[in-house]
Amino acid sequence: MKDIIKMGVILLIFTAISAAVLGVTNSKTEVIIQERLHAENIAAIAALLPIAEDFELVEDATLEGRNLLVEVYEGSTGGEIVGYTVKANPNGYGGRVEVLTGISMDGKVTGVKIGTQSETPGLGTKVTEPSFLNQFVDRGVEKDFIATKGGEAGDEYINAITGATVSTEAVTEGVNVARRVFEEVLKSR
Amino acid sequence: MKFGRIFSKGILFDNPVFVQMLGMCPTLAVTNTAENGLGMGLATTAVLLGSNTVISLLRKFVPAKIRIPVFVVVIATFVTMIGMVLNAFVPALYASLGIFIPLIVVNCLILARAESFASKNSAIGSLVDGLGMGLGFTLALVILGVVREIIGYGSIFGTSLFGEGFQPATIIAMPPGAFLVLGLLLALFNKIMAKNVNEL
Amino acid sequence: MSIQTIFIILVSAILVNNFILSRFLGICPFLGVSKQVETAVGMGMAVTFVMTLASIMTWIVQRTILDNLGLGYMQTIAFILIIASLVQFVEMVIQKTSPALYQSLGVFLPLITTNCAVLGLTILNIQQDYNLLYTIVHAIGAAIGFSLAIVLFAAIRERIETAGVPEVYKGFPVALITASLMSLAFLGFAGLV
Repeated sequence: MKDIIKMGVILLIFTAISAAVLGVTNSKTEVIIQERLHAENIAAIAALLPIAEDFELVEDATLEGRNLLVEVYEGSTGGEIVGYTVKANPNGYGGRVEVLTGISMDGKVTGVKIGTQSETPGLGTKVTEPSFLNQFVDRGVEKDFIATKGGEAGDEYINAITGATVSTEAVTEGVNVARRVFEEVLKSR
Repeated sequence: MKFGRIFSKGILFDNPVFVQMLGMCPTLAVTNTAENGLGMGLATTAVLLGSNTVISLLRKFVPAKIRIPVFVVVIATFVTMIGMVLNAFVPALYASLGIFIPLIVVNCLILARAESFASKNSAIGSLVDGLGMGLGFTLALVILGVVREIIGYGSIFGTSLFGEGFQPATIIAMPPGAFLVLGLLLALFNKIMAKNVNEL
Repeated sequence: MSIQTIFIILVSAILVNNFILSRFLGICPFLGVSKQVETAVGMGMAVTFVMTLASIMTWIVQRTILDNLGLGYMQTIAFILIIASLVQFVEMVIQKTSPALYQSLGVFLPLITTNCAVLGLTILNIQQDYNLLYTIVHAIGAAIGFSLAIVLFAAIRERIETAGVPEVYKGFPVALITASLMSLAFLGFAGLV
């Protein structure tokens, strides 16, 4: 019994030393990583809302706890708000899918971009391609978008990708989260 | 054992991939391009260098009964560090290698070297052994990666070889291709070694 | 918590993203312990047991300790120590309670420790943000997929033993080429869900 305790303590000491070493390395590298992620984030947002020059993170109590909502940036030019970008993270096929939607003040989608995702390569990953995402561009955001395989006509219908139903629905839900936030909160800020 | 012999063992006669068949998971998973293969090989070599040296230095202080868990902690520490460094300085490679970076810790090669060499030899010898095995591993991964990239994507280290119209056999860049190319390369390696043994 | 999601996770882990044939996790035991169907079945059972238990324990540790203390970077170390201890403990328990079971399963347990499949699974559970229920489902699915691949492979390899294989291909080369064909077959499942 005493032997096991002694072994356990020695192992604990080694683990503690390792934790200390890693803690130091982490504090050095974490800064660099966070800066890079932030810069990439801003670049992605700017590409979605080209009419805007400045971006500011929206910190609004009414947005707290909204399901699947990650963050909202307000885009403005010359002090006047021209649109918003909303990041949502719905559950896709292989995990969370980061969906970034740009919406201009006149209630139209300016663009949709996919961030991190782990969908099936060659199938689910097709949702990251412009040929799919461009379907959303210039559409109004008054109603929820619906993914369909039947090819119905109408502004709210999005053509699903064959063999990637779950991925398609995830992205559509991501855009819908953005749409709802805009209609319910952002439009009348 | 002379250092030259220790080194060449890792590269050729005891090559981790072609002879020992260790570290199969990353070998198959990240060799879809030559660059990924090289990146993973070098990352594993870095971990090997660190873990072999530290374990060799600590070998007198580790009780035999818990040596495996202690080795694992040391290896895991180096793996985590390499992961952080890659994420900070080479994010594209970090993203390509994905889950296989933390999985370096269960690459049987590293634990095998710690157990069979580093825990019984000098620090300098362990360093050289780690370097030899690591580079042997890297060499195998790069060869596999180059073959798969040329046939699967029509490029080498990212530079397109055959121009726009070339239709690559993408299947080679996918899982079936990994198994196939490794199997064929192994057979080739066997053939070469058999011929050399016969001629000795 | 929907039945549909559970179904998708299972189908995905067993067929579409099969741990061995698509994700390349667990190749060492796949190549090493698959010469006979009987041993493959034993390995499959041991892996199922370890994967499920390890998934639950690592998930709990991640959510209660690592996340709350901001120690995300200790994940690799914490998980591998948990897995190693778990396997050690399970081996001791089986040895004491059922020597018969130990005879058939026990030998595989140390092999499972330094095994990408278990560690890979536990990391994936966190990466894909599963709650505890989905984590358990994922573990079971992954284990079934692993067992399926390894048993099928063993069955084929038993046949190959008696076939006329050229000298340089004997052993691993022909095994890998066989695995390649199996992987190709499983690719057909992509787009199922």
